Amino acid sequence: MANNILNFSLADFFYNDNPDVLSPPDDFSEWINNPIVKHSFSFFEQELLDAPRVSTEILSNLDGQKRQIINLTSYNYLGLSTHPEVLQAAKEALEKYGLGSSGAPLLSGTLDIHTEFARKLAEFKQKEDCILYSSGFGGNVGAIQGMMRKGDYLVMDEKCHRSLVDGGTLSGAKMLFFAHNDMDSLQMMLEKAKGKRTLVVVEGVYSMDGDLANMPEICDLAEQYGAGIFIDEAHSTLMFGENGRGVAEHFGVEDRVGVTFGTLSKSFGGVGGFICANKDLIRYLKGYSSPWNFSCAPSPAVSGGLIKALEVATRDSSLRDKMWENTRYMKKNLLDMNLDLGGTKSQVIPIIIGNSGEKLMTYAEKMQKAGLFLQPVDFPAVPAHSRRFRMSVSSQLTQEEMDTTLSIIEDVIVKDMKN
Amino acid sequence: MTKEKVIEVIAENIKENLDDLENETIDPMKSMKDYGANSLDMIEVVSCSMRELNIKVPRAELADIENIDQLADKFMEHADA
Repeated sequence: MANNILNFSLADFFYNDNPDVLSPPDDFSEWINNPIVKHSFSFFEQELLDAPRVSTEILSNLDGQKRQIINLTSYNYLGLSTHPEVLQAAKEALEKYGLGSSGAPLLSGTLDIHTEFARKLAEFKQKEDCILYSSGFGGNVGAIQGMMRKGDYLVMDEKCHRSLVDGGTLSGAKMLFFAHNDMDSLQMMLEKAKGKRTLVVVEGVYSMDGDLANMPEICDLAEQYGAGIFIDEAHSTLMFGENGRGVAEHFGVEDRVGVTFGTLSKSFGGVGGFICANKDLIRYLKGYSSPWNFSCAPSPAVSGGLIKALEVATRDSSLRDKMWENTRYMKKNLLDMNLDLGGTKSQVIPIIIGNSGEKLMTYAEKMQKAGLFLQPVDFPAVPAHSRRFRMSVSSQLTQEEMDTTLSIIEDVIVKDMKN
Repeated sequence: MTKEKVIEVIAENIKENLDDLENETIDPMKSMKDYGANSLDMIEVVSCSMRELNIKVPRAELADIENIDQLADKFMEHADA
């Protein structure tokens, strides 16, 4: 390994054959302690010293300095995590119910605010019912694991989130992956699953590329083969569609989608996840979805705040309008610099650097030191030839912050790539 | 280690990890996808084969490999190293 240590990544140490079960693989320690590898990992787990707003402070792992930064990495798309009305509602729920729910939802953890929030989410998504999860990851794992069984088929886009894949593994269903958004490949997989109970699983907005599932054609094909549709709207709820209901609304196919997932940590500004579907399926999930059955119910303060977040984000379109205005501005100016933004159609904007892990890390460091917090996304999270930065555009961005961001990107990335 | 041996190990692991291939002859000019492997299956086959052959190839170097024969060539490079 010594001569090619920098070609290794986290993808290479999953299997552990160290006879000492309490230790990682021998060569993992050799790799992770290499000074260059160590430096790349110093980008991760850096501490924010203030709320994850666009304007915040970081304790940099790179040089130990506290630094005021423009934060385009957090998913706070609509700025709701610090919205004054949301905070007030969270405080009131905290005062009334305390810190925790002290039980799984089935036995004692269900509070009236949980029921109220689930009902409001179901109404918002125009589905019969809703089940709340304490984590977004748990919601996806729990829904897939709760619905599917050995002998069933999951036909998933190859870029689906880990939580969906893990749910599939746990369910015991056969997983077939189709090439990203490729309808011929989807049809080929549906053909293989023909005659079996089949669920097609896609994401509204894909989190590493910012592009959208081709919902009209996916619906046509799924219907042709009698398959159900599950859409993960983690990065699209409250932002896409005339009423903010997501990508399914954007394409006008909501009534053709059986199950819709949303996270509560991104545009909503809290934490958790939810599934909306027909009443009978939600009732069934409450019997078999382990992350619901065996996790404590969501924190009351978070749920109290989230009820208000839903109200604030949907009483008018001002927050998402502002987010879209900012997205258009950033995208136009980044494209004018000839940067490769992949196929983004959303507020998730990748800036694709290419195959050099070294350049990615150098740019990340320079940008952070210049006051822009834009995290590098390296292999194996994305393919080795398309390492990137991933920008999350927020409604909170001011004109000045956008212009400063663009000028840092131009100085650090664009000028270097021209050389 | 011969290339034939490497292909044999890969082929055995493909049969072991994928359904309905017990009686098939694995054609090295095909890809694992042709035999119905998804990305998780491929990781499993590659990992099991590397452990059996006692070699370690970084995944980042496997991105452009198109078939079983090319995978065997890549394994051979690292076996010689």
